[in-house]
Amino acid sequence: MSVLRPLSKLPDINAASVLLVENEEDFQQKLAGVMVKEKSVMVKVRLAKSLPLPAKNEQNRPRIDLVVFLINLMSALSLQSAEASLKHLGQGYFLGKVCFMVTNARHAALPAERMLAVRKLASGLRCPLLYAEDQTPDGVTNAAERLLVILRVAAGCVPMTTALFLSNLTSCIVPTEEEEQQNLDFDA
Amino acid sequence: MDPHTSVARSPFSSVVQRRRSKSYRQSYRSYVGTMSHLAYTPGFTKRRLTTCRLAPKRCSTAEMNPEQRALLVREWQLSYVTPLYRFQHGHLKTYSRQLAAFLVSERQQGVAAEVGLESTLRVTFTLVAGMAQTEEEADTVFIKIHSKTPLAPPDDPQKVLWSGWLTCVGGDPDYLRTLPEDFVCLPLFCSGGTEGLTALVKAWFQRTFDCCFGRLEINSVNLQWLAALWTDCHARTSIKQLKLVWSLPAEPPMEVIYAMHAQDTSELWRSVRQPGLREEEDDGSVGLEEVACFFKGLKSHFYRHFRVELSAGRLTQVSTALGSAKHGGRIKISNSSYMITTLTLLTECALLKMPI
Repeated sequence: MSVLRPLSKLPDINAASVLLVENEEDFQQKLAGVMVKEKSVMVKVRLAKSLPLPAKNEQNRPRIDLVVFLINLMSALSLQSAEASLKHLGQGYFLGKVCFMVTNARHAALPAERMLAVRKLASGLRCPLLYAEDQTPDGVTNAAERLLVILRVAAGCVPMTTALFLSNLTSCIVPTEEEEQQNLDFDA
Repeated sequence: MDPHTSVARSPFSSVVQRRRSKSYRQSYRSYVGTMSHLAYTPGFTKRRLTTCRLAPKRCSTAEMNPEQRALLVREWQLSYVTPLYRFQHGHLKTYSRQLAAFLVSERQQGVAAEVGLESTLRVTFTLVAGMAQTEEEADTVFIKIHSKTPLAPPDDPQKVLWSGWLTCVGGDPDYLRTLPEDFVCLPLFCSGGTEGLTALVKAWFQRTFDCCFGRLEINSVNLQWLAALWTDCHARTSIKQLKLVWSLPAEPPMEVIYAMHAQDTSELWRSVRQPGLREEEDDGSVGLEEVACFFKGLKSHFYRHFRVELSAGRLTQVSTALGSAKHGGRIKISNSSYMITTLTLLTECALLKMPI
């Protein structure tokens, strides 16, 4: 009912649509402005503050190929809101159609626990985790380009490549204690 | 090549050899050299994050000596220091003379030499005993800069221009044991006085002992730790009130001062800290989840009354009757009873912030 599903609608030819979810509603505007300028594929960008999406737009909404969660690491609320929104996403999305993008990862005042929590979240869900810099136009352009690469694959516009295949290569990994110990013992 | 070797080795060795004496800092450096992935932090970071701390222990006031009392007087600005090369606790008088000469010569640089009634400087280095927790830690060193006018009578109380201290309280014993022979680790540097004198003292230390100084900021998780540890002390020493200052990224930036009665915070803390735990079962350790739960309770209470979500902002200051800590790295310890606990936390922050 209020859960978003990936395959409930028909796709459009040579089109891709992406949903940017962000609590602050700031970075998503800039990203959207850059992403719609793409020429090889017709990109439709939908913006949301959190899930579930309002039911009244259900008819007009195209099939969402990729859901991107934009998390600002400086605010604890951003991460909490993203975690709460994950519950309203259908299971089919977690096979390569979800991506996390974080900003402010290099801030001096960032508590390390929050970074680790985001990485654990992304690795638990087998999703890629991208780092972006949102203050300069160059940073926004770079972030948009990286998202477009994943979006083209998720929308099926790249032959011989599926979203699941790509996510296996790009998903975030947080090693467990035993693996870390083995890796550190290696240089003995 | 490297990942394959490490994965293939494990089935062959049935005994996992744990090397206790190898410095994990050395292995961190070589590990970073072999693997560098995007978003793949070396496992070293995971070990650094403390999830459990000992509950505050009270040290009785009768044991404090006057030097320790001097640490309670004012607000200090924190920095971290890398280990000092060939710093000897027996040579403190020599260091005092050298530092005084350095300060006088820096002051006179560029100024025409004049014989006159200029006040001269006197520096004292003193040892503060009783702060080190284990035998591997170095004793705390307290530095004072007095100004002395030549015409004043000798027993006139001299004005203290600047004071500071270097300390290591409760530092990680594994790390201290792996330091080479000539190095002394005193990672926390607290300074109180003018910026100019602080910079000169740091410059002298850098020249003489080949160390590096850097700003130490207390991030929001450590401020939450301090708030929780101080609230835990309320049962034994009253903290009077817990005051938290948040800064929210609104237009214009909003500052929220959230002050609570000590009794209420203490009841919330007790209910978070394992509901149903009796006094005798308390094993004296505080976990990170309990601190997070405590703060979640405080923030949700605030949201219910004022509809302002404090998670969207940053915690910038925590103060109680036991002391106050600010995000920019300023700390004031007002009560001698729990000084060691606060300093242990700050030493750990300094050790983590220090570049390897």
